[in-house]
Amino acid sequence: MNTTYGIVAISLVAVATIGIGAFALRFSRTTSDFYVASRSVKPWLNSSAIGGEYLSAASFLGVAGLVLASGANMLWYPIGWTTGYLLLLVFVAAPLRRSGAYTVPDFAEVRLQSDAVRKVATVLVVAVGWLYLMPQFQGAGLTVRTVTGAPGWVGSVVVAGIVVVNVVLGGMRSITFVQAFQYWVKLTALLVPLFFLLQAWNDDGRPSPVAPSDWVDPFTTTDGPGLYLTYSVIAATFLGTMGLPHVVVRFYTNPDGHTARRTTLIVLVLLGLFYLLPTVYGVLGRVYAGDLVEAGRSDAVVLELPSRIIEGSMGEVLAALLTAGAFAAFLSTSSGLTMALAGVVGQELTGLDRGRLRQRRLSSISALRIAAAASVLVPLGLALSAERIAVASSVTFAFALAASTFCPLLVLGIWWRRLTAPGAIAGLVGGGLAAGLGPVLTIVAHPDGWFGTVMSQPALWSVPLGFGLMIAVSLMTRDAIPLNVARTMVRLHTPERLDVDRRDRASESLASPGDLP
Amino acid sequence: MSGSPFNPEGPNPDPAGPDQHPEETGPAPTYTGRVRVTSPLASAPRHVRRTVRQEIDESTGVGEVYMRSLIRSQLRAALTVVITLLLSLGVLPIVLLTVDSVATYRIWGVPLPWLLLGVVTYPCLVVLGWLYVRQAERAERDFAELVEAVGDEDPQDPA
Repeated sequence: MNTTYGIVAISLVAVATIGIGAFALRFSRTTSDFYVASRSVKPWLNSSAIGGEYLSAASFLGVAGLVLASGANMLWYPIGWTTGYLLLLVFVAAPLRRSGAYTVPDFAEVRLQSDAVRKVATVLVVAVGWLYLMPQFQGAGLTVRTVTGAPGWVGSVVVAGIVVVNVVLGGMRSITFVQAFQYWVKLTALLVPLFFLLQAWNDDGRPSPVAPSDWVDPFTTTDGPGLYLTYSVIAATFLGTMGLPHVVVRFYTNPDGHTARRTTLIVLVLLGLFYLLPTVYGVLGRVYAGDLVEAGRSDAVVLELPSRIIEGSMGEVLAALLTAGAFAAFLSTSSGLTMALAGVVGQELTGLDRGRLRQRRLSSISALRIAAAASVLVPLGLALSAERIAVASSVTFAFALAASTFCPLLVLGIWWRRLTAPGAIAGLVGGGLAAGLGPVLTIVAHPDGWFGTVMSQPALWSVPLGFGLMIAVSLMTRDAIPLNVARTMVRLHTPERLDVDRRDRASESLASPGDLP
Repeated sequence: MSGSPFNPEGPNPDPAGPDQHPEETGPAPTYTGRVRVTSPLASAPRHVRRTVRQEIDESTGVGEVYMRSLIRSQLRAALTVVITLLLSLGVLPIVLLTVDSVATYRIWGVPLPWLLLGVVTYPCLVVLGWLYVRQAERAERDFAELVEAVGDEDPQDPA
């Protein structure tokens, strides 16, 4: 691949990212701007931002690579990542926005009136965030090395640096514009080259994919473990999306519950549109770049296809466009994650009271900035030092962890009055340990057979475990049901246009029935 | 109609009293002084008007009933989506595994599973989400109308 074009493409995306961030900085004034963009982001802008943030390297490069390597069975990943938003829409979107809390730990505290739940949730948010950030930094290093030949750490450090600069300078309002811009960069970067590639394929006489039959028809040969893995991926991705910190935090930037629903619906459209494309790259890869599978570099198929199919500088330019898209994917996902982590950690640092963001509290903005730098350093260090794990599997661990912990907390917290703080803690710790230990055991001990299969993708049993523990322990601790649960339910479920009392505590100052005429 | 004063055989007495049927009372007596004419309802205990909003704000039994019905209808909409997903995407891996004719069926040379998983699923998810949003917002609108209607209507309606 032509190095100059690649470097130009990466630089353009980096400059545009910082430029848009700096432009948006002019509007970022208050603490509320920094944390939640003053809760005034319109559905179209917000859903573009969510799409931009959500479509990480795993989507942009990983899906095509997986399809190239393993065929149609891998299409469950993009389906799961999209369906996750549908389940988020039906269970979480509007009530979570109406809760008025800013992060999942905030929600836990508002709903369960317990500082201990808040602490546990905070630790889990950081764990999920780091699991998700690490592969982004590693992927960035790999891409920069592929394109420019620079050492692997360059890409990781560059991405981490740009992300911190953006969060530190502009906070959430700035990030919103950057993310929205990057969704359209990513869609364009996949869509435009695809037209040229399909044209070339058509001129070539439409050759069929060269592949073994179990690539074309993988389902006829699937065995028991294969079926378990498919369902485990479904459980992790369907239910994990609603618990990802960078996804959840976006819902607080909607003006109200109604727009939160609209936003999620548009996100479904944007994701569905995007995920049509990587499959075609994977299939074209089987026609023209089947050797990448044997070389173990199937993740590079999106970057390499143009120069293999189209001769001359046109192919190079298209490859540069795809490189720009990949770089946008690293930048936007890590920006969103860093912002979410910084928000959670920053609030712990200043002890902001249940998401009630006081205007112009500079100390809390400084806390956000310090937290942003801190939340990037650890995963960056891990990415630089640790053995490289496949991007998709590390991301799947994060999904499984979120599905086993935050999914039960949010779903039961919103829809079940009898959830208690001890129950929530039991579910968070139990589900978290189950979803966390499985992958660790797999990496350290490499168990074989059914046990190895079950441990490598724990979601199918760790999610029911999280739900079960939360329900069972809640039922055993009935006297710990928070006193204000009725008021919280009113707050979560009544539309904003109704002028009902949404305060945290049932107020005594209200007129009692005897005082009425 | 059994309680209506227009039904002479009705079990309920009309406001004028059980024994004073118009046909039997003869010519109307003439009064010289002023007479206070009131509806019999005026002496009944006054109806205390309480809005649904108050019921909800004070977490009374009635308010709880309203809230629970809202939450239940929203949960029903959500579970409908989940069941639809389970019965479609959820059984697809098993169907593809067990029914070979589905797994190997081809449309224009493309295997059916590729089309289902790679293309058809996405518009279906969007439609499902759209139907849910419509249903959820209708439930909220109905709830809001219920709450506001009972609170702000004119006081003649004893509902």
